[in-house]
Order: sequence, then structure tokens, then C-alpha cells
Amino acid sequence: MYQHIRFGTYVNIFNTVIPLFLQRVLLLVASDVDALCACKILQALFQCDHVQYTLVPVSGWQELETAFLEHKDQFKYFVLINCGANVDLLEILQPEEDTLFFVCDSHRPINVVNVYNDTQIKLLVKQDDDLDVPAYDDIFRDEEVEEEDSENESDASEPSEKRRRFEEVFKCGGFFSLFRREILFDYEQYEYHGTSSAMVMFDLAWIMSKDLNDMLWWAIVGLTDQWVQDKITQMKYVTDIGILQRHVSRHNHRNEDEENSLSIDCMRIAFEYDLRLALYQHWSLYESLCNTSYTSASLKLWSVQGQKRLQEFLADMGLPLKQVKQKFNSMDMSLKENLREMIEESANKFGMKDLRVQTFSIHFGFKNKFSASDIVYATASLMENIEKEGPETTNFIKALDSLSRGNLDKLHQGLDLAKKQLRAIQQTVASCICTNLVISQGPFLYCSLMEGTPDVKLFSKPVSLCLLSKYLLKSFVCSTKNKRCKLLPLIMAAPMDVEQGTVIMVGIPPETESSDKKNFFGRAFEKAADSTNSRTLHNHFDMSIIELKTEDRSKFLDALISLLS
Amino acid sequence: LIHSRALGVTPEVSVVMPHSLPSLLLQGGTVWKSQAQSEAKSGRTDLIFLIRFRHCCLLRTQRCVLAYLYDRLLRIRALRWEYGSVLPNTIQFHMSAEEVEWFNRYKKSLATYMRSVGGEEGLDLTQDIKPPKSLYIEVRCLRDYGEFEIDDGTTVLLKKNSQHFLPRWKCEQLIRQGVLEHILS
Repeated sequence: MYQHIRFGTYVNIFNTVIPLFLQRVLLLVASDVDALCACKILQALFQCDHVQYTLVPVSGWQELETAFLEHKDQFKYFVLINCGANVDLLEILQPEEDTLFFVCDSHRPINVVNVYNDTQIKLLVKQDDDLDVPAYDDIFRDEEVEEEDSENESDASEPSEKRRRFEEVFKCGGFFSLFRREILFDYEQYEYHGTSSAMVMFDLAWIMSKDLNDMLWWAIVGLTDQWVQDKITQMKYVTDIGILQRHVSRHNHRNEDEENSLSIDCMRIAFEYDLRLALYQHWSLYESLCNTSYTSASLKLWSVQGQKRLQEFLADMGLPLKQVKQKFNSMDMSLKENLREMIEESANKFGMKDLRVQTFSIHFGFKNKFSASDIVYATASLMENIEKEGPETTNFIKALDSLSRGNLDKLHQGLDLAKKQLRAIQQTVASCICTNLVISQGPFLYCSLMEGTPDVKLFSKPVSLCLLSKYLLKSFVCSTKNKRCKLLPLIMAAPMDVEQGTVIMVGIPPETESSDKKNFFGRAFEKAADSTNSRTLHNHFDMSIIELKTEDRSKFLDALISLLS
Repeated sequence: LIHSRALGVTPEVSVVMPHSLPSLLLQGGTVWKSQAQSEAKSGRTDLIFLIRFRHCCLLRTQRCVLAYLYDRLLRIRALRWEYGSVLPNTIQFHMSAEEVEWFNRYKKSLATYMRSVGGEEGLDLTQDIKPPKSLYIEVRCLRDYGEFEIDDGTTVLLKKNSQHFLPRWKCEQLIRQGVLEHILS
């Protein structure tokens, strides 16, 4: 079935690049935490093997194209991390024939041209990742057959033997094209995410026997990022945690043995069945309970009754308010000892069955203990920091630095920013729910942030806005009594650039227990933009995030409503 | 002000090119000496003290200027170690013709010495001033520099905040200039 798909593995990347060690590689890395972690692992591997590379951060398709154009004369090998799989790369970039692209991207579905291209595009995908790609014969016909059949070809493919570039011929007549269009539509309709790129990179390192505890930690952070941003299903998360746990015990088994354990300064990773409270070890327990979406939504903390319920919850656990409002590290040891079990018991009584989650934590030295989700929040906040002046790439570089253990000051700065961000999110969610800003438009829910809203500048960045939307949807689902509204997806809009009059819009799938996290808004946005001639910019690698002009917003929404109903 | 009057230079002229200073000093010195001699001959002995005082000031100014010029030479010598054989235009603009010639002669002398040391090909002493820890290093570009050509002909585009993993000897100069920053992971 998959005879035409070439899965890039160790063999491909390192056998083509290393013998030509005089060749240099260009790394194009997207701006999300998973990509940063994958980049760190790949950098470590390249440094080990003395492969010269240049790293260029890209935050969207325009930057990708610019970077490619600037560097195409100097590089033949390009590695794309978390970008480029879901569009026809060769069409967009128009590279030379001998350019080689290695794409490690968790975005799905992978564009069929990328999958079936033998020569220029190598995909790094795990063996068990099921791509569901339509069969080759269903979508493509070999060139000789095409020339016989169709007379009016809009894109005539050059009959070149070296480069079998598969151009999709849309105007060839007959039943084949209809059938094919349907298959492609089904395949490309829903966007979702596959295995984390950081985990794929770690797998590569493991196959080459060059894996280290540091790389394992980055793989863990990459996976946790997918979980925090709700990009993967619970099942996939648990499966991947299992895979990583085997690696963790392989690297960190010496800790269990009392006699031969490592010095306290050495870095060690431990599996934890930890609380799902964001940043609770670097904050106070009370703040963490208020600012984590799961607890805030379940207890409905935006209402007065919710606050009372929180007090009852704390009383049920026997935790005095004074203790709980202190910094977590200063809480009494007697209270901290059985905290997790206590909280879980009480949480079950209050309807929060999933308060604990499987995750990992890292220790080095006496003071430094971080949970994987802490690092994810910190790095994401650093990357989308609005306070700094200067080009956006500075934030990317800072976030990349904070992932190294030597840069603890940057990590702590990230943690502070993350606390601010989480507080801002919760306050915005509370105000949106209390003022009924979330309205049902029929096929979806819609919420728009006004310009004067506090902290609205924070939400002009895609990842923060996505986080806000997911938390808002969770809280809305808990607050509304309308059964139909609970199953609807959400579109969220926030002002992006006041001077240019643009708005950033994000669409997220509905919040249900067994959601498969598949998002149809990517295609929907494209179609709506086409039909209304709205001025939109589909710049982000996630197709469900767009920018559009404020004036075009209403007609765009109307088009969406009619499209989706 | 005393100095400028002694040199016979009007106070408005505040910027004096370094290469013109020595000649001005010499001019001023000879003028005053001859003037002193003529004054002494004409019997105006009461001016001797003023003349002597002014002469001492002149000598002091001369010493200061010579110290300044010598310091410039030392810095130009350091430039050879920092920038290599070819100086950027912005720096050459600020050097006088004599200084440029001095620089070229220093370059030649250093090259002769380096060739004589270390066997057949000579030894490039300006490389690896600090003992290197690794063959390749990771560097980050701190400002937009443009294209940078390496010895084997390949070019690297140095844009702000791009990171590169390059052989150490190719980056050293730029690190010293502050364009690249060495990153220790």
C-alpha cells in the first residue's frame, strides 16, 4: 500500500548528509514549543556529528518563503521543523532540482504531493503513525496516461525523468477527477496533529544510540506542549507517555538504588502522577486552583457560588486558607506530604475526576524541580512576550535559550510571565462568561474581544489566543444549560494590530469527552474568504488561525455561517 | 587657550588633524625660538620669563601630542590582531597616510616572522588566541551583517538572531568584532 511513500529515518537523513560533510544544512523552525524542543535535539545531534548548520526561526508561511529565497543559493539541504507538511512545498517554494527537504512536522494531514514525492521531500514520520493517505492510484495517474486522456491541461507537467513532480491536473475531464476530488476533500477536510516532532527527533537520536537524558527531557516537554494546547487526544497522550516512560527508566534507573544513586546535582527525570494544577509548585496552591482551566471551569469560579464551592473544597481537604495562599514551597510539610491523594479524594467528591495526570518532572540541584507543564507554560510565554521591543526572533531565541539548564534566570522570567498570562486568561474568561460575550451563531459559537479589554494585547498572539479559546470553551460548556451549545465549536476573534485594523481569528473544535481534536476550520476559513473576497492572511502553519481586516469581519462570518449550516 | 595662542592658532579651530599637529608644533617652536632670540638681542630682558614659560608649555604640548600619536600606533598594531590584514573602510578613513604605511610595514614584519616560525608553511599566530575547546562552535548573530564569505568560497548570510554551527577558525574574527556571539550550551 505505501510503496510510494518514503519514510525518512536515520538512514535517509544521516546517510545523505554526513558523507557530504562539507555540505551545510538550513534549519527552518516554527514558533511553537514542540518545534523548539525538536530543534534542540537536532542541534545536539548535529553538533555531535559536526554537521554545519544555520538556524532560522520562522513564524509563518511568508517568513518561510523569505528565508528560503534568501538562503537558497547557499544551501542544498533544508530541514523544516513543525512547518511545511500540510501544503505542497514544491509548488510554494519552487526549488532547484537538487534541493532536498527533510520535513518533521506534526501537522496532519500531510499534503499528498509531499507524501508521494520520491526525490525531493523526505518526511520524518514514526512507523506506527497512521497517515490514512489515499492510495496513489486513486489520485494520480502516470504522466503518459494523462497526456492521452486529457486535452486541456492547465498545468502541463514536464516529462522529466529525474524529477517526477506530481502536478495535480484539475481540468482533466471525466469521472476520475470527480472521484479524486472527493477523496482529496475527505482527506484534507479535517486538520489534526500527529506525534510530537520532539518525540520523532528523540527516536532518531535513540536509533543512532546518541540519545541523552537532556534530549529525553526535551522530548517530554514537546509531548507535554501538545497536551497543554489540547492538540492530541487523551489516548494518544497516554500512549506516548508510556513510550517515554520506558526511556526514562532506562536513563534514570540509578536513582532508585539507594547505594549507587547519582549526586544531587546531576539531572534526573522522574515519572509523576501529578496534579493537573498549572505551575502550582512555583505559585501558591490557591492561585493555581483559581487559574487552572480545569478547576476553574469545574468549580465555576467566575460566579459567587463558585467561590463558595472553592472554599468548601479547601475545607473538605482540611487545608487552612492561610497555608493555601502562601507560596507552595513555604507550606507546612505535613500538609504537603499527602497532598496529591488528599486533593484527588476531595476532587472526586466535587466532580473533578481527572485532577491527576501522568507526567514527568526534572530535578537538578536542591532548588530546581520543574514539572514538564511548567516548562511548557514558561517557554510559550517567553516566545509570545509582548513586552520586549525588537524583532520577534529575539523572543524565539530567548525561549530557545531557556530550554537549556544553564539559563535558569530566563526560565524563571518565563515562569513569571506565564503566571501573568494565566491570570489574564482566567480574568478574561470570567468576564466573557459573566457578560455573555459567547454567542451562538448557529453552527458555531462566537466570541470577540473588544479593544479596550484589559490584557487584550496578550491575545494578539496565536498561541495565547488559542489557549484562551480552549479555556473559554471549557468554561462555557460547564456554565451553559443549553445541551446543543455544548457540542458546538468556537471561533474567537481578538484585535491584532490597531493601526492596520486587523483582527486575529482562531477556530477550535468542540469540547467533548471523546473528542478526536479534528478541526475543520482551516478549509472553512479558506472557502469563506474566497467567496466573500475578504482580505485575509493565512499566514500561520495552523490553518485554523487567520488574520483579517476588521471591516471584512461581518461578511466573513456570514459566509461561514451559511457554509457550515 | 594658552596653548592655542602659543601655537598662533585661532581658538575657533578646535579640530586639528593628527598629521598636521607635529608640523604645527615645529612651526610654533621655531617661531618662538627665533622670536626669543630676537627679543633677547633687542634687550627686552623682561620678556624672557614669559618666553620661557611659553616654551615650556609648548614642549609639554609636544610631549602630549607625541604620547597621543604613539598610543594611536599601539592601537593600530592591535587592529592587525583583531581585524586581520584588511582593515574595514571606516577605520582606514580615520588613519593618516603615514599611519597606513606604518600599518603595512607592521603587517609585513609580522608576516615575515610568522613564516619563519613553525616549519614550512609558517604559523598563523593570530588564530586561536585562547585555547580552543572544540572544532566547531555554535554562534549567534547579534546584528545584521549581510553575507560573510568563508575561505572555501561558501557564503553565510548573517541576519540578526540567526544561529550557526561553523568551524571555529572561521568565526573567530567576527566574534572579536562583536558581530557573532559564542553560545555555550
